[in-house]
Amino acid sequence: MHLPKFEYLEPGETSEVVSILGKYRGQCSIIAGGTDLLVAMKQRRQTPKYVISLAKVSELKQIREEAGMISIGPLATLEEVVASGPIQKKLPVLAQAAWEVGSPLLRTVATIGGNLCLDTRCRFYNQSEFWRGARPDCFKAGGVICHVTNKENTCYSTFSGDIAPALIALNAQIQLIGDGDERWLPLARFYTGVGRIPNLLAAGDNEVLTEIKVPLPADGTKGLYRKYRFRESIDFPLVGLAAILRVDPDDGICQEACLVFSGVGSRPVQAAEAENKLIGKRLNEDIIAAAAETAAGEVHPVKTDRVNPQFKKKIVKAMVREAFTELGGVKS
Amino acid sequence: MKRLINIVVNGEPHEVAVNPEQTLLEILREELGLTGTKKGCDQGECGACTVLVDGKPVSSCLVLAVSVNGKSIATIEGLSQNGRLHPLQEAFVQHGAIQCGFCTPGMLLAAKYLLENRPLPSEQEIKEAIAGNICRCTGYVKIIEAITAVAHSTAQ
Ligand SMILES: Cc1cc2nc3c(=O)[nH]c(=O)nc-3n(C[C@H](O)[C@H](O)[C@H](O)COP(=O)(O)OP(=O)(O)OC[C@H]3O[C@@H](n4cnc5c(N)ncnc54)[C@H](O)[C@@H]3O)c2cc1C
Ligand code: SF4
Ligand code: FES
Ligand code: FES
Repeated sequence: MHLPKFEYLEPGETSEVVSILGKYRGQCSIIAGGTDLLVAMKQRRQTPKYVISLAKVSELKQIREEAGMISIGPLATLEEVVASGPIQKKLPVLAQAAWEVGSPLLRTVATIGGNLCLDTRCRFYNQSEFWRGARPDCFKAGGVICHVTNKENTCYSTFSGDIAPALIALNAQIQLIGDGDERWLPLARFYTGVGRIPNLLAAGDNEVLTEIKVPLPADGTKGLYRKYRFRESIDFPLVGLAAILRVDPDDGICQEACLVFSGVGSRPVQAAEAENKLIGKRLNEDIIAAAAETAAGEVHPVKTDRVNPQFKKKIVKAMVREAFTELGGVKS
Repeated sequence: MKRLINIVVNGEPHEVAVNPEQTLLEILREELGLTGTKKGCDQGECGACTVLVDGKPVSSCLVLAVSVNGKSIATIEGLSQNGRLHPLQEAFVQHGAIQCGFCTPGMLLAAKYLLENRPLPSEQEIKEAIAGNICRCTGYVKIIEAITAVAHSTAQ
């Protein structure tokens, strides 16, 4: 499968990236590691006239610890994220999530920024042009009908990135730099929940993701990332769960609980009601089971892959139970 | 528009004129004639196209040739030295870790990277290191045995 033709640009500064994006608005794509974009281009889901590489913008690559936080450049590869001492030690849930992405051959080039900007996925859309040609174009591909729901003008394609749940659970903030302005926002607000245009950059405005900041969790915070998929060696998550828990060491009461899922909606989904079932309680089997049941009710997966939504809800339930049993050291 | 890139492939410098839409895999096979690197899925799923870029394993079907300008690339053709097979190659032959051979170049390079960084890996670490390399024939057991054997013999 050959790539379509395009022009390749390699600016050396963020400001140049922004000005090129403005100049060729709507005709260009940023490339970081390329492991998502190049597949999309081979499949003719994206055919940008200009491809703007970030490789020469060296300031976007650093991982460093600052006062009370860890700053991560979007160009850091997932291998670098996994290997980073401060991340392993202070943000283990992020190191685990990065480790779970794809295979080692992808993690050497795939970046954390590219992962956050990952397009949503659907079995009718993520196909070669030839296979997509078996049906009329779906709404996301430029047609009218959604083949999953048979409705017009809606898309339910699924957010399937592994890193966003971990970073949202850690309260990460991201920086977007555009023409003459820059803004910081919580990562959770980056996602629109709209299948066709899943994040603030997907509409093709001239902004670049330039930095990720993660506040260091309070002492005693524990976290883990769990992933359910067909082939453990390489696949996208069918369901991913980032879970965070902090328990008061004196009275054993849960001070903080956070659950964010991948694979169950068009954006990363935080199960706030389930969190409330845990916060303020001393965790035991029944309390965790109730939270798991609540979480399953808070996710609304659509059948954009080969797994039945009811089955995904069961997985959600099992994952929450396992994750908090382990994090809370609860005997079952 | 074509542009010139300078790369070192298996120790030898090359200047190649490439189109932006050419992948590293395509220029290795089609411009440099190094057909030991295989094209399988062409979408990052199978690992048949694994090469080392600056020592690290990548799926060369998902790497733009223009992006490796100035880098050093190792392919399967560079593994044997002076007509002698690399110990990993020997072990793959001896342990029956090769059947059709399509996955073998990628498998060997992924294994080389592993042993350079973890001379005595556990079985789990070996499995993790070759997780991106699909083999349809061997069932992986003999591949893991071969890599283990090399690790043990080098350690002695
Ligand atoms: C076989 C296979 C398996 C995979 N498995 C997984 C998996 O298990 N989990 C998972 O999460 N992903 C998976 N992926 C997807 C992908 O490899 C990862 O999400 C990866 O982290 C994407 O990063 P990248 O640098 O390669 O992105 P790119 O392809 O370079 O970019 C992806 C998107 O982000 C945009 N972008 C990138 N950087 C920036 C920036 N700084 N500012 C603005 N926009 C930007 C690009 O324009 C593009 O739209 C898989 C891919 C393949 C081919
Ligand atoms: S959910 Fe519907 S519109 Fe969206 S990609 Fe799938 S088939 Fe297309
Ligand atoms: S050909 Fe590159 S991973 Fe399959
Ligand atoms: S030996 Fe045939 S694919 Fe591995």
